[in-house]
Amino acid sequence: MRRIVAQVRKELTQIVRDWRTLALALVLPVVMLLLMSAALSLTVSNLPIVVQDFDGSSASNNFIDAFRASISVHVVAWPIDKSAEEALASNAARAVLIIPPHFGRDLARGIQTPVQFMVDASDANTAKLVSGDASLITAAYNRQLAGGSAAAPVQAAIRLWFNPGLSSKKFYGPGVFVLAISMFPPLLAALAMAKETEQKTILQVYVSSISAHEFLLGKILAFMAVALGEALVMSSLLFTYFGLSFAGDPTPVILATILYTFCVASFGTMVGAIIPSQTAALQTVALGGFLLVFLLSGLMFPIQNIPIGLRWISNFVWGRYYIEIVRDALLQGGGWPAVWYKVLFIAIIGSIFYSLAWRGMRRMQVKA
Amino acid sequence: MRDLLNRLFNYRLLALVRKEFNQIRRDRRLQLSLILPPVLQLTLFGFALSANVSDVRLAVVDDSRTPESRELVSTLTESKSFRLAGYYPSVDRLGDAVSRGDADAGVVVPYDYARDLARQRPTTVQFLLNATNANTATIARAYAEGVLQSYNNGLRQQGIRLQVQPAAADSLARRGQVSLQPAFLFNPGLVDSWFIVTGVLGLLLILNSTIVASAAMVREREAGTIEQLLMSPASTTEIIVAKIAPLFLLLTLMMFAALGVVRLVFGVPFRGNLLLLLGAGCLCILSGISIGTVIATFSKSAQQAQLTCFFINPPLASLSGALNPVEAMPKWLQPLTVLNPVHHFATIVRGSTLKGSGFMDLWPNFLGLLLFTVVLVSISITRFRKQLS
Repeated sequence: MRRIVAQVRKELTQIVRDWRTLALALVLPVVMLLLMSAALSLTVSNLPIVVQDFDGSSASNNFIDAFRASISVHVVAWPIDKSAEEALASNAARAVLIIPPHFGRDLARGIQTPVQFMVDASDANTAKLVSGDASLITAAYNRQLAGGSAAAPVQAAIRLWFNPGLSSKKFYGPGVFVLAISMFPPLLAALAMAKETEQKTILQVYVSSISAHEFLLGKILAFMAVALGEALVMSSLLFTYFGLSFAGDPTPVILATILYTFCVASFGTMVGAIIPSQTAALQTVALGGFLLVFLLSGLMFPIQNIPIGLRWISNFVWGRYYIEIVRDALLQGGGWPAVWYKVLFIAIIGSIFYSLAWRGMRRMQVKA
Repeated sequence: MRDLLNRLFNYRLLALVRKEFNQIRRDRRLQLSLILPPVLQLTLFGFALSANVSDVRLAVVDDSRTPESRELVSTLTESKSFRLAGYYPSVDRLGDAVSRGDADAGVVVPYDYARDLARQRPTTVQFLLNATNANTATIARAYAEGVLQSYNNGLRQQGIRLQVQPAAADSLARRGQVSLQPAFLFNPGLVDSWFIVTGVLGLLLILNSTIVASAAMVREREAGTIEQLLMSPASTTEIIVAKIAPLFLLLTLMMFAALGVVRLVFGVPFRGNLLLLLGAGCLCILSGISIGTVIATFSKSAQQAQLTCFFINPPLASLSGALNPVEAMPKWLQPLTVLNPVHHFATIVRGSTLKGSGFMDLWPNFLGLLLFTVVLVSISITRFRKQLS
């Protein structure tokens, strides 16, 4: 036990002495959390649209006013003699509303009046959002035209649960929190481990009385402490700036956080033990920590959308389970019944990493 | 003058360029990071990142239990938007299912649904949406409204045909309605990956140029061979040009490989000016190399250079609009994207592939990219010179 504590102290001293690693451990996660959670949002508001009104009647003006009143779009000026496609090609607008010349007359005669809404679909998601908004605006306008007499027979009362303000910050905040914890502590752990081999200080470890388990546990505990420190700093941001709070039972997420820090610290140590070069270890962790957790964990886009050929990989991505646990704890509040097996998976993946790290150590010893 | 140029290119510069090529040829890892990223990352990003919303799992509480209510449920679930997750006996159980994650949405049909319909009274159906993901919830809400709207239209037509309520149908007809006809330009199939890969292309070019360049530049310093270079009769300009030229050439080849993936794997149409796209790509690579050079001059070892890249990459990537539209960012962040070469390049790529825009539409972005490249290249050359002298 004493030897483990000594090992932990040695690692922490090493981290504190290098400003680059210290900044990497404490400043970068916070910067990333603030920047990425704000910048990754997909829900657009206030998109520029162009209106080409070939009618100019009071009816068409009324209809355009319905669009002007919406917060999801804003109308920008566009000369009527220039074609609508040009507005989209030059990025002046993301959609064009074209009102035909006989709009007002058709409405008065009681004919269904078609109005074209051209959307720049180079971004498919935004195109769907803006065309959805436009059809909601039109439906509301139609209801107003029809008056109370012909209200739709079936109406929808839509309730938004867990995030009624549709704030994407609250969705991406927990995700980026997990991404930062999956990236930086294992990075430091891998570097520290690979450094021992590169600088041959590992030989000193071999001749000392410390056992492989004690050495590994000492390293892992040190980087768990770093990860828990990061988690503490970032979660204080989540609770204040992001306006999140525990939606239900906080015990699963607390236990999962401890297990997850063990998992990522073991991952870094494992990479460092297997790959003895610092540069290569760094690249491997960046690939595993960033690419896998960013792409295959449902951080930004739903996992269901990944093609089946790739989707199965996400079952082995440790960050995926932790993201789901954190989101559940902070937004949905499902508690133990919803997440117990995810906590278990994190523990299993963590112990696999640990045993691989131990085997890597033994092989290193044989080579040395 | 011509003689001078000839001599310059014949001997020293060529020899130095050959030396750099040899060094790159012998560095397996550097080669790997030149070939692997365009193929692997582009494919992975393009396939894995999709914001598409379909098959929303819908839990149902049907308190009405009538043919009418079942018809509503089947109308909802027969579209590709919703998929039936199961029937629940009460709203509480449905709420549990949504918060456990067994369902993404719920619909509650009231007990008097069929009676109200028969009496021509408006009735209300409750939708519960898991709004944790704001984007999915917004799109699912539009789906729900859309399905109900077409269901209502069906009901009205039935009413007209059966003459159940001729008066209402008549008044409806006299009022006239606006029907919105959406047309999706440039990407009528609404393929999500087109947006992602055209954005990731620029990200890939800049980030990989940065990493490769910083690794190549710092190597001389790490190995301590920089003194030998200084002792040689080569001028600093020659050394810099000889360092940059081979990297630039190889990265340009990488760009062609990446464009091949974009065209062949994802089927992105190239509708506009290909020359403009290639020119912008070259500028992008140059600014990436310059960022890498600046990083290298601040680092003592390859590992330090890599760590510094970690500080630069997240803001470059997240403030680029490569993965999501700039309009979705908060107001205070949006102006910062103007300072990002990746943003300008992404706009140029999307314009000249998907939209078929020409130089007249894209010149502001091209100018921005050009300015960036000039500024970054001159900074990196002065930094490198300082280091050499």
